[in-house]
Amino acid sequence: MAMVQPRNLKYRVWAARLCMILLLCLVMFPFLMIVSVSFRSGNFATGSLIPENPSLEHWALVLGIPWEAADGTIMQPTFPVLTWLWNSIKVSLITSALILALSTTGAYAFARLRFRFKDHLLTMMMILQMFPAVLALVAFHAFFNKLGNFIPWLGLNTHAALIVSYLGGITMNIWLIKGYFQSIDNALEESAAIDGATPWQAFRYILLPLSVPILAVVFILAFITTIGEYPIASVLLQGADQLTLAVGAKQFLYAQNYLWGDFAAAAVLTGLPITIIFLVAQRYLVSGLTAGGVKG
Amino acid sequence: MAEVKLTKLNKSYDGGKTFVLKNIDLLIKDGEFTAFVGPSGCGKSTLLRMICGLEEISSGDLELEGTRVNDMPPNERRVGMVFQSYALYPHMTVRENMAFGLKLAKMSKDEINQRVEEAARSLQLTHLLDRKPKAMSGGQRQRVAIGRSIVQEPRLFLFDEPLSNLDVALRVQMRQELARLHNRLQTTSIYVTHDQVEAMTLADRIVVLSPLAEGAETNLEQVGAPLELYHNPCNLFVASFIGSPKMNFFSASLLETGEEQSRVKLDCGTELTVFNNTSSAKVGDKVTLGIRPQDVLNHEEECGAGNCITGTIETIERLGNESFIYLKHPDIQEAFIVRVEDSRRREPESAFRVGVPAENCHLFNEAGQAYPRTRSPRFD
Ligand SMILES: Nc1ncnc2c1ncn2[C@@H]1O[C@H](COP(=O)(O)OP(=O)(O)OP(=O)(O)O)[C@@H](O)[C@H]1O
Ligand SMILES: [Mg+2]
Repeated sequence: MAMVQPRNLKYRVWAARLCMILLLCLVMFPFLMIVSVSFRSGNFATGSLIPENPSLEHWALVLGIPWEAADGTIMQPTFPVLTWLWNSIKVSLITSALILALSTTGAYAFARLRFRFKDHLLTMMMILQMFPAVLALVAFHAFFNKLGNFIPWLGLNTHAALIVSYLGGITMNIWLIKGYFQSIDNALEESAAIDGATPWQAFRYILLPLSVPILAVVFILAFITTIGEYPIASVLLQGADQLTLAVGAKQFLYAQNYLWGDFAAAAVLTGLPITIIFLVAQRYLVSGLTAGGVKG
Repeated sequence: MAEVKLTKLNKSYDGGKTFVLKNIDLLIKDGEFTAFVGPSGCGKSTLLRMICGLEEISSGDLELEGTRVNDMPPNERRVGMVFQSYALYPHMTVRENMAFGLKLAKMSKDEINQRVEEAARSLQLTHLLDRKPKAMSGGQRQRVAIGRSIVQEPRLFLFDEPLSNLDVALRVQMRQELARLHNRLQTTSIYVTHDQVEAMTLADRIVVLSPLAEGAETNLEQVGAPLELYHNPCNLFVASFIGSPKMNFFSASLLETGEEQSRVKLDCGTELTVFNNTSSAKVGDKVTLGIRPQDVLNHEEECGAGNCITGTIETIERLGNESFIYLKHPDIQEAFIVRVEDSRRREPESAFRVGVPAENCHLFNEAGQAYPRTRSPRFD
């Protein structure tokens, strides 16, 4: 919008920029610290922001490459970090996709269909969601423990079990998508029906394409939540090869020895997939998709 | 193309407690252009949506081409509809909008292209085919909405106030385009409108609906050709709804009844002769006399049989080719409106004796039903 703006707005713009920069520093500082720690030789949490003698030892170990230290000793990687990373990505991608599918269809039902107890169901789901899933840890453990006896691939220490336990948390997403669906004029789907579309076709070709921005948001949110989730994953997963990065990274910090450097490198690694997903999904976060459909 | 038959159609909400439409009986012939008119909230859109399947029918039968379609989902009815809000698909170009239904019907690419281009040509949309709806004006969107339904070659066209979002000039132009379109395609069409002029000029027949009154049998008031409704409204509602400005109504009582003509006395004491068949009534019955602003005579000398009503001029609206004079009259609360061609000699606050030709009068009984007119109307 090219609105005419008063002169003194310029100073306000600069003030706003200054605030933004300060805020950015606040957010960036911990991140820079972590990056700095991961490049610092030895395992020290404190030190100057720019490492005095930078070293790639932590990164090498985290990426599974043996590291020859200056004094000639060879350090072997302690943990299969790349496997963990892969586990995290796999679990998060599958979970996010399933959450997207479930919450979209659920939201469609709540936004467009008429059925009994609809409002009660919505409130009930909302209330249930208010208890953190962590509180059900024991239940999850017992449940998958038993289930594993009958369906081995869904027992404890499987990724399937982890994914299933994550799928419970879709209420917020249903609310988000439902609100978006309701903002799209029903007349569009009605007019698709007149054009010969079945309800599924109207959903698939009209409603979904128009809802892409909110679907992208939900996907990103689900991905971020899942990839960083610790409590449930730490209880359900046990084998060293099965761990996700969030759980695995904790292993660097055992009581006798805090491997801050390796931990920091692993932490930066966790951020990587999120960044990539975000950059990809950003294309879909466009506004004004529904402009021009109804009214003149 | 198809015949549409509604039998005892009802629409109610809250499980039959509140009725919106009641006992609608209507036969729309093949190729006919029918307009639904009525005040806001009387259920015109609801009736239209019932016909295309977007709204459930509470009871009664809806037949298309002789088959009962009450329970057929909208996507199988092969009915085209133009929404008041256009409802174009915002993420598709004009071409994709028009081709959407054809693609769903698995039509071949060539045929789709041919149909879309033909429709675009007839609606002058060819240069806009690759635009999205948001980059178009209201009138252009309107034409796309129409194009989207004509490419499907539906058996029946439904229009829900399609022109109400357009400005006056564009509305006149689109009205003519719709008339041309109907002449060319001859598809049965139903057209909902607020605008009497649209209804009168476009439709072969007009259906007048009223808001359902407490305890009323039906809210279908009258069905007929435009001029039939104008000249022979069957009740007070239709008489006051059709025609602009509104018909003037005077409360009166019957002095003489008759098959050919009757005599009435207005509450103010004026006696008038009217050509209406009141053989079904008794002397002394309360009646309502109706006279359209256009049906009065300017020249008091010419009033046959001394049929005159006198009022005091309140205001004069001079429009150039005609003038509307608002008269104060004890029997009318608002104003007694008359149309005259020449208002030069008229001044506010002066008395005006208006000629009321007996053949131009409408007469209604206490229940609002019309007594049949026995002579054809006379014009100034
Ligand atoms: N869910 C509902 N419950 C009860 N009444 C309803 C419901 N939905 C609609 N109505 C009523 O149905 C009536 C008819 O509405 P409709 O939209 O058909 O009117 P309309 O004649 O098209 O009016 P307009 O000319 O303003 O478009 C309205 O009086 C409305 O109050
Ligand atoms: Mg309406």
